[in-house]
Amino acid sequence: MKNETFSYDDAIVKKFALATLVWGGVAFLVGLIAALQLADWRLNFGVSWFTFGRLRPLHTNAAVFAFAGNAIFAGIYYSTQRLLKARMFSDALSKFHFWGWQAIIAAAAITLPMGFSQSKEYAELEWPIDLAITVVWVVFGVNFFMTLLRRRERHMYVALWFYIATILTVGVLHVINSIEIPVGWFQSYPVYAGVQDALVQWWYGHNAVAFFLTTPFLGLMYYFIPKASGRPIYSYRLSIVHFWSLVFIYIWAGPHHLLYTALPDWAQTLGVVFSVMLLAPSWGGMINGLLTLRGAWDRVRTEPILKFFAAAVTFYGMATFEGPLLSIKSVSAIGHYTDWIIAHVHGGALGWNGFLTFGMLYYLVPKLWKTELYSKSLANTHFWIGTVGILLYIISMWASGVTQGLMLQAIDEHGRLVYPDFVETVLRIVPLFWIRAVGGSLFLTGFLVMCYNLWKTVESAPADSKEDVYSAPALAPVPETALGGTWHRRLEALAPTFSVLTLIAILVGSVLEILPTLLMHTYVDSNDKTVPYTALELAGRDIYVKEGCYVCHSQMIRQLPGDVLRYGAASTPEESMYDRPFQWGSKRTGPDLARVGGKYPNMWHFRHMIDPRLVTPNSIMPSYPWLTEKKIDFDGLQRKLDVMRSLGVPYGDADVLYAASNARAAAAQIAADLGTETGVKDLETREIIALIAYLQRLGVSPKAAPATQVGSN
Amino acid sequence: MKATDDTGVQSAPGDEQRLLDHTYDGIRELDYPLPRWWLMIFYASIVFSIGYCVYYFAGIGPDGATELAAKMKIIEAKRPPEPAATADGDDQVLVAAIRDSGRAAAGKSVYQSKCAACHGQSGEGGIGPNLTDDHWLHGQGRPQDVLEVVRKGVPAKGMPAWAELLKPNEQIEVTAYIRSIHGTRPPGAKAAQGELREFQEL
Ligand code: HEC
Ligand code: HEC
Repeated sequence: MKNETFSYDDAIVKKFALATLVWGGVAFLVGLIAALQLADWRLNFGVSWFTFGRLRPLHTNAAVFAFAGNAIFAGIYYSTQRLLKARMFSDALSKFHFWGWQAIIAAAAITLPMGFSQSKEYAELEWPIDLAITVVWVVFGVNFFMTLLRRRERHMYVALWFYIATILTVGVLHVINSIEIPVGWFQSYPVYAGVQDALVQWWYGHNAVAFFLTTPFLGLMYYFIPKASGRPIYSYRLSIVHFWSLVFIYIWAGPHHLLYTALPDWAQTLGVVFSVMLLAPSWGGMINGLLTLRGAWDRVRTEPILKFFAAAVTFYGMATFEGPLLSIKSVSAIGHYTDWIIAHVHGGALGWNGFLTFGMLYYLVPKLWKTELYSKSLANTHFWIGTVGILLYIISMWASGVTQGLMLQAIDEHGRLVYPDFVETVLRIVPLFWIRAVGGSLFLTGFLVMCYNLWKTVESAPADSKEDVYSAPALAPVPETALGGTWHRRLEALAPTFSVLTLIAILVGSVLEILPTLLMHTYVDSNDKTVPYTALELAGRDIYVKEGCYVCHSQMIRQLPGDVLRYGAASTPEESMYDRPFQWGSKRTGPDLARVGGKYPNMWHFRHMIDPRLVTPNSIMPSYPWLTEKKIDFDGLQRKLDVMRSLGVPYGDADVLYAASNARAAAAQIAADLGTETGVKDLETREIIALIAYLQRLGVSPKAAPATQVGSN
Repeated sequence: MKATDDTGVQSAPGDEQRLLDHTYDGIRELDYPLPRWWLMIFYASIVFSIGYCVYYFAGIGPDGATELAAKMKIIEAKRPPEPAATADGDDQVLVAAIRDSGRAAAGKSVYQSKCAACHGQSGEGGIGPNLTDDHWLHGQGRPQDVLEVVRKGVPAKGMPAWAELLKPNEQIEVTAYIRSIHGTRPPGAKAAQGELREFQEL
């Protein structure tokens, strides 16, 4: 076959690498600010867009999609071209991908602090941005798969298998979880409600971790560890077994985020067993990474890149041991809703994703700019500062999570809660918040050291930036039957078949879990008379979502004695059947609110929202003074109720038509009540009134419904 | 022009027989068998999962609601019988506590952390009524009346029930403290609520 000449598009890799650094800085800094806000509430500054509830989603999105996302793209664009001996299919599509992605991140950085949020974790962005993500992702996919078809290497190396799984699955996850009906330019309601929304969201959320933070990074690991160490991959067979078992099993494990909740028992059971079965497939990746370094351990000691890689893979092993552990129901009872989960996720994010990215950048930047790394010793310094930072972070959060988890569930010999006062458990862990902040600062410092080091490296680069030219023979078409080797070896030469099989592997678990849950009405007693929110309550609910109250408050009383004694009867599926989006929450920095309605007078809430410390000394909840100034959007309510009705919420014509006037009347009542108590006048149009109406409704059913029987299972 | 495969692969002892012949961008692969301990973990997790599923899906294990009900039953059984809010014994304990200034002082710290938010720093009232005057919404204003409200609360009006939230001795102490601030006329006192009741010496 004749040799063809070609070159690689490294300009795009440089762009993505640079974006990784810029957004990494933003993600870490916002994370540090959020950490400090929990340690000292005054750092919320009483400024709406700067409060914890708005910054936390910004931090998570920046870390996942901006920092890790750009890192993945840099690594994929670099390695794919080389593994396929082909330039990316289209430079134009690559550029579109790059700029499109940066625009999405910029839009996220603006809209999230403004409070435009769907409240579904890692899927908070509103519908126009969701659409943009879909377009950019499809462009990325087309560019990648077309390159795959034009490859000059017959077989696909294991890194590419992981890239294929990433691109296909993230596409499916994003589209299915983002089906929503707009009610305005920056607001929408999901088509799923309550239990269904919870299951779809955590199917998505868990697999965002699996297919955005795990599979692509495993692909990067399979490329960069052997490249940087010069060592062959330890076991090809292990690659095959752990790849297929990982993609097949991962997709099922989402319900482990919902143990003891109102999710049907069968789904919880599946969540437990598939999480337990995930241990070995995950560790398969760790083994293959670490044992590839076999025979290069002496170089790990001196070579910062290999140090970062070895530590990253070790953190991966730790996090993937902890995941199945936390999925055991009795462990989840303690760990869920606490900082243990925060520790878990940061072992993965800082250790695995962060360190793998740093190692990759130390490897890539000198290669891309055709020069040497400015300072190895600075890179080593970065490694040690970063490692100490991560350890302080996760150890303090383990301590915090276990302490608070045990305190909250503790029941004394008389069958009473040992710590009935929630704030007492919070005060116990505040010192640990400070240690966490120190850990985060160290991690950020190390990162800045790296930025300086890489900057000096680029500065020293030669001016010449011509692309190298390579040559390789084109692939001759070979009939399937003529492909030699084992069945899997043959499959590696058949990119489309391989991709379809991967897609099937991830669809099996998805369909089998989601479909029955969507048919959930069979679980909800048809006699149930759950009453939908009034217009004013709905307005308040939207404010609750907008302010990000859900980042600190759950609305899900689990089937656990500690929860029931503290908050009341366990939550049922019926109670949230009209909740779009669901508000079960994932973290209890404050108490559960599922039954807070009627617990306090309106006045209490009024004072508490303006400054929680007026009624709860030492509370760490932010103050929300602007709620007494901002006005309720009464006029938008008709449309909101109309959309809700189209989604199946039983509103009558009059409810929809008179939504605004009904809400005004209800608001006037609450305002009058507050007015006589406080003397504050003219509150009836203010957001705080709607929020109070919503809070007073939680766990209270206006027309008392008959006690309902939850479906079997 | 450059060759595409340029990494010098480094080998460790024993690798030669395991090295596969393909190369990707200079990356070689060995083909060591799956580690036995790893396979064992995998098989064990699968066996566990099958057993776990059978246990729950076949209805041998309890469902979530049943399990919770069973646990709650055990907890209920541990509950000491609910003391009648004004049991005879209480009266004497209350009187003793009121006479013992140390206990009223202990009640002050309970009051400041749990009650002041609604009843004011000095009992002058706020969200809840003034506790220093002679007007009472509930009962006659006697210590046992106060203790009863404290324990049972007035949930509909926003006064929490403290029976579960405070220890029995704290309930007594905070009641003693409220008695001790009677008639102190704190500044900013809230307007009287409820019936005028005559103050009764013990
Ligand atoms: C930084 C985390 C945080 C955020 C964000 C937050 N809270 Fe809280 N919240 C707490 C903590 C801690 C408590 C317990 C102490 C207290 O009563 O203030 C609490 C208590 C509450 C309570 C009293 C619950 C009870 O049963 O006593 C309500 C109601 C409440 N918050 C509502 C909200 C609303 C509404 C929002 C959003 C506008 C919000 N919170 C945002 C942390 C938070
Ligand atoms: C969330 C606010 C709140 C808290 C906290 C609170 N109270 Fe109250 N309390 C009220 C309200 C409101 C009433 C009036 C109830 C009514 O209107 O019937 C009340 C009534 C009372 C009464 C009856 C007064 C009367 O006139 O009959 C007593 C006694 C009392 N509280 C004691 C306490 C004590 C002791 C604590 C702390 C352990 C406490 N309260 C904490 C809100 C509160």
